Amino acid sequence: MVSLLTWPRAWLSRTYSIFIVLGLWELVARSGWVNPRLFPSLAAVAEQVWVLAASQMLVVHATATLFRVFAGFGAAAVLGVGLGFLMARYEVFGRLVEPMFSFGYPVPRVALYPICIFLFGIGHLSKVVLVALECLYPIAIKTYYGTRAANRLYLWSAQSMGASRAQVFLKVVLPAAAPSVFTGFRIALPIAMVIVIVTEMISSTRGLGWLITYASASLSRAQVFAGVAAVAAIGFALDRTLAVVRNRLIFWERESLSLVDGSQ
Amino acid sequence: MPLLEVTNLSKVYGNGRGRLEAIRDLTLTMEEGEFVAVVGPSGCGKSTFLHILGGFIPPSDGSMRVAGRAVRGPGPDRGVMFQELALFPWRTVLGNTVWALEVQGYPRPEREAIAERYLSLVGLLPFKHAYPWELSGGMKQRVALARVLAFDPAVLLMDEPFGALDAQTRELLQEELQRICFETGKTVLFVTHDIEEAVYLADRVIVFSARPGRVKATVPIALARPRRLEVKKSGEFVAYRNQLWDLLREEVLKARQEAEAGQAAGDG
Amino acid sequence: MADLSPQRVLPAAAVRSPGWGAGVGLVGRIRALAVSLAAPAVLLAVWEGLASLGALPAFLVSPRIVARELAALAASGDLFEHASASLYRSLVGFAMGSASGLALGLLSGVSPVVAGFFDPLVSLTNPVPKVATLPMLVVWFGISDLSKILLIAVSCFYPCFIAAFHGVRSVDPLWIWAARNMGARPSQAFFRVVMPATAAQMFNGLRVALALSFILMLASELMGSSNRTGLGFLLLSADAGGRFDLMFAAIAAIAMVGLVCDRLLLTARRALVHGEQEGGGTHG
Repeated sequence: MVSLLTWPRAWLSRTYSIFIVLGLWELVARSGWVNPRLFPSLAAVAEQVWVLAASQMLVVHATATLFRVFAGFGAAAVLGVGLGFLMARYEVFGRLVEPMFSFGYPVPRVALYPICIFLFGIGHLSKVVLVALECLYPIAIKTYYGTRAANRLYLWSAQSMGASRAQVFLKVVLPAAAPSVFTGFRIALPIAMVIVIVTEMISSTRGLGWLITYASASLSRAQVFAGVAAVAAIGFALDRTLAVVRNRLIFWERESLSLVDGSQ
Repeated sequence: MPLLEVTNLSKVYGNGRGRLEAIRDLTLTMEEGEFVAVVGPSGCGKSTFLHILGGFIPPSDGSMRVAGRAVRGPGPDRGVMFQELALFPWRTVLGNTVWALEVQGYPRPEREAIAERYLSLVGLLPFKHAYPWELSGGMKQRVALARVLAFDPAVLLMDEPFGALDAQTRELLQEELQRICFETGKTVLFVTHDIEEAVYLADRVIVFSARPGRVKATVPIALARPRRLEVKKSGEFVAYRNQLWDLLREEVLKARQEAEAGQAAGDG
Repeated sequence: MADLSPQRVLPAAAVRSPGWGAGVGLVGRIRALAVSLAAPAVLLAVWEGLASLGALPAFLVSPRIVARELAALAASGDLFEHASASLYRSLVGFAMGSASGLALGLLSGVSPVVAGFFDPLVSLTNPVPKVATLPMLVVWFGISDLSKILLIAVSCFYPCFIAAFHGVRSVDPLWIWAARNMGARPSQAFFRVVMPATAAQMFNGLRVALALSFILMLASELMGSSNRTGLGFLLLSADAGGRFDLMFAAIAAIAMVGLVCDRLLLTARRALVHGEQEGGGTHG
């Protein structure tokens, strides 16, 4: 029974540490022990976020960042799911492509960024390509394992019920692999965000990553923290959104959405 | 002095409307070398009883003594063989069997010699370097049995150890357990829902009532030992089985009525 | 006991966890290796052939020239200098982050009080790209190795904490009961049950953290290096000089360092994690 009185209490008892950390930050910032320019108070950071938002700066740069994230992630999702299915379905193909994954996995693909810039310029495309390349790995690998694990009994029973090949694929293999595919998405999306921010920080003319480095170079520290706060909020929101979408689509195998639950 | 003494044991979960009485006023003694089987309808608290004896769950009331010493928490004087076996998957067959001796500080050659002796007793010495996942269900049961025998507990507590096996493997393992207990003189408390298993293995069968669990009846089994599987076809065996079946049927029906009444109350 | 003949019961034991695509026996293994090397070999050969015919754009330098450049880098000692500077940053950060992540994760798994404090913080900040905090760290610690190392440590903390925490939480409670029943003290139950039971998951976390440490090491070096060392700096200076041969050599060096570290971690995993089935499950 969750009454109106016990609910906030239960919620606080589960999230109190977040408020402790925020409170400590504020305490240190206002104590005068540290230079407020190096350690701005939360109020100062919030004010900068507001300034950025009011001047449209935040919208412009966040849009650029999000466009790159979604374009790269979308391309990787299409390519990765297709590749994963093919690898699981055709063994020879799988064996030919597998070394690319097992040897390529530990190689930091960011190393290819200078070449991407040379080929595709410092605009959207170089970032999107690198994001797609980086996200391809978890998505393809998880799809591969998900498809391989699709229970053979399901396949047989579907075939014995007279399903065509296309039907077996769409109605059995796809749903059976879906939880694993979404695990791949869940790993890939934060990676997409990291790569976009990284590449924007290295060289760009737009995007939140660029905004943060620009603010840092022009010594407006509060703006650096505001940019970090914006990136954090977007990263968190993206992850939550994907988790909700996942549970809508894969309703037979729900995962906990609770912030503080070890069982997810 | 009896080896195991359970006096007025009871266990209640929760309170108020959610109160659930699992065991009520249970008294039981076992002599050394005795094999006692506990049968009862599902949900009668027989597994809970075993877990309390194991020291994993504290009783609400009553006392337990093993060889005169009060039970407080888990300890190697009572060897528990769990329904789910709880073998350690990161250890080989030998590694699982020596585990208890290892944490009790036995030197390596000694503990390995002991473990190998019990592994050969259950016929698994050739597989001592295999990992649990490489073994069949029946072989895993044998490892669990060797593991619990190896640290030489005063009493073995077995919780439906053969419940998950196919009928043939179960019978073979029953015969093997019967032989091993006969040879080693082990004291065993064996929980099962299978009446034939209880009659075949036990010197005494205790019938638990539907929840809350109490001793409804005690039936001594006077079949000669060692018992071969063929004994299951004898008239004596069938008579015991029928007697227990009648005792148990009442409880099963009672348990079902209670469950249905509870459900109806919950719906209304 | 009819079902005990080794041939009948243990076909899987003879082939201990066959890796994917691997065959049975020496011949099978060689064949599997040949198949898996076929694609990269053909790719390199075609690349080399086209490059020597002059059919490729100038920036796609032939593999032979890249190899020569790499050898020259190695001979001059430059390669060692840059690689060791990079490895110092990534491995020190990795060690700090993963050690604290695993320790706190294990502790949170065992103690609900510790979990109550750290779990909400980690869940909240985990999806945040930690790399964005680099300028913040630079504000505090300057463009130094320290800010790079701290960034790597913070990033490595998360996958390790989560792997250890969830690992402990998924330990079968019956294993603990069994251990206590066999006379284990609580500390023995921790070191001899909880630790081995979570080892596989902890290594999964370590592997993700290791890959992350290389990405962030490289990214932070590409953003600026205070002492003009590191493989990222080598890449950056080759790029600035338009030296595609040197660029590819740097990329090859980065790839090799990453690969070697990953293989070392996998070797350690094989030595320390026992009883795993094919597919990675630990449940026996």
